[in-house]
Amino acid sequence: MAITSVGIDGEAIDRVTATSKPEVLIEKGMYFTTVGSFYLQKRFTAEICHVEKSQTVLGKMITARALERGTLVLAGPSDTLSLQRWIHNTSAKYPVDICLVDGAVSRLSPASPAVTESMVLTTGAAFSANIKTLVAGTRFVYDTIQLPAVPEEIRKPLENITKGIRTITEDGQIEDPGIDSALTPDQIRQVLDTCGNRIYIPGVLSNGLLKALTERKEAGKICLYVRDFSRIFAEPATFYAFLRKGGRMAQLLRPNLLAVCVNPVSPEGYCLRSEELVSHMQDALNISVYDIKNIKT
Amino acid sequence: MTFARFAQRIDGLNYLAEQMELSGSRVRRYLMQIPFCDKAEVLEKHFDILQKAYEIHSLPENEPALMQLRHLFTTVHDIKGTLEALKQKQVLDEIELFELKYFASLCRDFRLLCKRIDFMSQAPMCLQHVFDWLDPDKTGTSGFYMYDSYSPSLAQARKAVLATDPEKEPESWNRATDLVQQEEWSVRKTLSEELSKRYEVLQNNFDQLARLEIWLAKAALAVKYGMVRPQVAPVLSIEGMVNPMIADILVKSKGTFQPVSVTLHQGPCLLTGANMSGKTVVLKTLALIQALTQFSFFVPARTAQIPLVKDVFLVVGDKQDYYKGLSSFAAEMLALDRIMDKIKKGNRFFVLVDEPARTTNPYEGTAILCALLAFMEQYRVMSLISTHYGELNTAVRKLRVVGFEGEKAVGRIDPTSINQYMNYSLVEDKRTSVPKEALQIARLLGVDDSFIKRAQEFLKKNNHE
Repeated sequence: MAITSVGIDGEAIDRVTATSKPEVLIEKGMYFTTVGSFYLQKRFTAEICHVEKSQTVLGKMITARALERGTLVLAGPSDTLSLQRWIHNTSAKYPVDICLVDGAVSRLSPASPAVTESMVLTTGAAFSANIKTLVAGTRFVYDTIQLPAVPEEIRKPLENITKGIRTITEDGQIEDPGIDSALTPDQIRQVLDTCGNRIYIPGVLSNGLLKALTERKEAGKICLYVRDFSRIFAEPATFYAFLRKGGRMAQLLRPNLLAVCVNPVSPEGYCLRSEELVSHMQDALNISVYDIKNIKT
Repeated sequence: MTFARFAQRIDGLNYLAEQMELSGSRVRRYLMQIPFCDKAEVLEKHFDILQKAYEIHSLPENEPALMQLRHLFTTVHDIKGTLEALKQKQVLDEIELFELKYFASLCRDFRLLCKRIDFMSQAPMCLQHVFDWLDPDKTGTSGFYMYDSYSPSLAQARKAVLATDPEKEPESWNRATDLVQQEEWSVRKTLSEELSKRYEVLQNNFDQLARLEIWLAKAALAVKYGMVRPQVAPVLSIEGMVNPMIADILVKSKGTFQPVSVTLHQGPCLLTGANMSGKTVVLKTLALIQALTQFSFFVPARTAQIPLVKDVFLVVGDKQDYYKGLSSFAAEMLALDRIMDKIKKGNRFFVLVDEPARTTNPYEGTAILCALLAFMEQYRVMSLISTHYGELNTAVRKLRVVGFEGEKAVGRIDPTSINQYMNYSLVEDKRTSVPKEALQIARLLGVDDSFIKRAQEFLKKNNHE
């Protein structure tokens, strides 16, 4: 097993919330990647296998194999591209069956199927101390993750398109209206004017565009294709309004969501009732929900 | 004087540096630091190495090994900091020790590949002893940790840690791990001391890898542009020289660069020719070839005999002068003054000046030009000076660009394709007058007929007077 983190994990005090944080425990034989300064602070024996050529803000990335069990601070590749490379290289070079990536708060891009094969969505009292709000927020992310896949016959030709906007005609032809993205009001107007009802957005699906499309008379006829759920930057209200009006949305790459985990304890020490939280969450989501403070193996 | 300094002054040098396939900024910095060399014996040695690299590149069976080498160059880490720490006899940390082990194993790979292409003279030294120190368990891999076998007391300290439960006995666990850290430190100290004795060979290998890469890149460049080894000789004589940057631009517009031959003796030589006849290109290419020779490159020509000089000066009024807030005349005069000052101090230079004093009145301009020629004559400075000024009262040797072969051209021609009608060859010219083809070329460029006629009338009027 190889492990890394896109944020900083395992430090005694969280740098964002200034509250205490659990340690990262590395088992003997595990491969791990962290920056040099944290590597040298660890108190167990490990063999350095690789040092990244390039420097990051925190120093050079070290990949090592644990020769003993121990704890350390984990801070690995933080951008999507180097994370992709990390997964590829680590599984190619070392006897590793699975690469685990610890995510970071509100960062969905490492969970894109373009990077990682599967994901576990984690949430908890840190997000909100109100169960209703917490469930609704999780439900929204869950719904975007579970958006259906783009039909097979149209998926293939769209796969290699990573820029601009595309229109798909009635007879399945892909046309390029020549718009770079749909972010500014001008660009959104262009999309409304020139694109038909079936639109592929390889980049960011902005709240503005989704809102504008929802306000259209024939919103019910619209079918939106996005690259994957992590490209949807829309507010829950807009997202649901679009779907309520009959609009459809699908993603090119559909992630494999394994489970949802909740932590009932907030960094400030506030604790939700575990059973109530899990059961509410379970009712709202059609997937296994675990309380990470109370996992029975 | 470094390559970087020259690249700022001489057009096309940077372009060629950019065409070189180098693995990263570390090696590029190295290239930029290459000194300008005027020692024939050093240059000949360099050319021998480059010749060898060129032959290696020309053999197709070497291609797989060369490709592996190119890849291997990209895996070299910048261990400048670690080497500096060794030099200062500091205690290295675990990561730095890993870097040295990795570097030693890379050197072994480099040696293997150098052997395959028969280039051992430029291979890094063998670092097996360094590798062995950092591989006491003889794993043979580049992985590294503070091996138990380095010290019995380290092994014992580690056992003590394993026997302690950090959760139940945190105090004694802390003490035990502190001891491990201490023991690790003494091992690192001993290792660092041993390694620092090897500092020079490590540093030299690190530099040698950059040198090796640059030799191979220079050879690849020579193959790409059909460059030849220059001969160091007392008289400059170049046959079929080409300017790689301009040739590349021409290829893009489906044109070709007409190779030019030139011989220059001590003392000044004038270069005349019509507008657009490529006088500036001749000057720039000569400066480029001279610089390439003295930075141990092959040169873009069929043959090249090059005398060595202390410095090359190319004065073509460029836009940089305006940024400094100088008029083009002022910038040029000050540049020439600086150069003449250096010449007076008695060194061999190569001076190339594009149309001196062209931005002032022809009456004084001619006088300035003649004075410059007289100066170059007095100090026997190898120099080529282009001009449009004619009827100079001087016996200086003159080269003329053959120029426009107008009989081939009909009607109006596209300014970018005028080179099809130009003969860029240089010929000896005994006449005192200069080519007068400005109006003809303006006409062919499609400049308004009535305007040209008016100019011709003025010409006639002046001639009558």
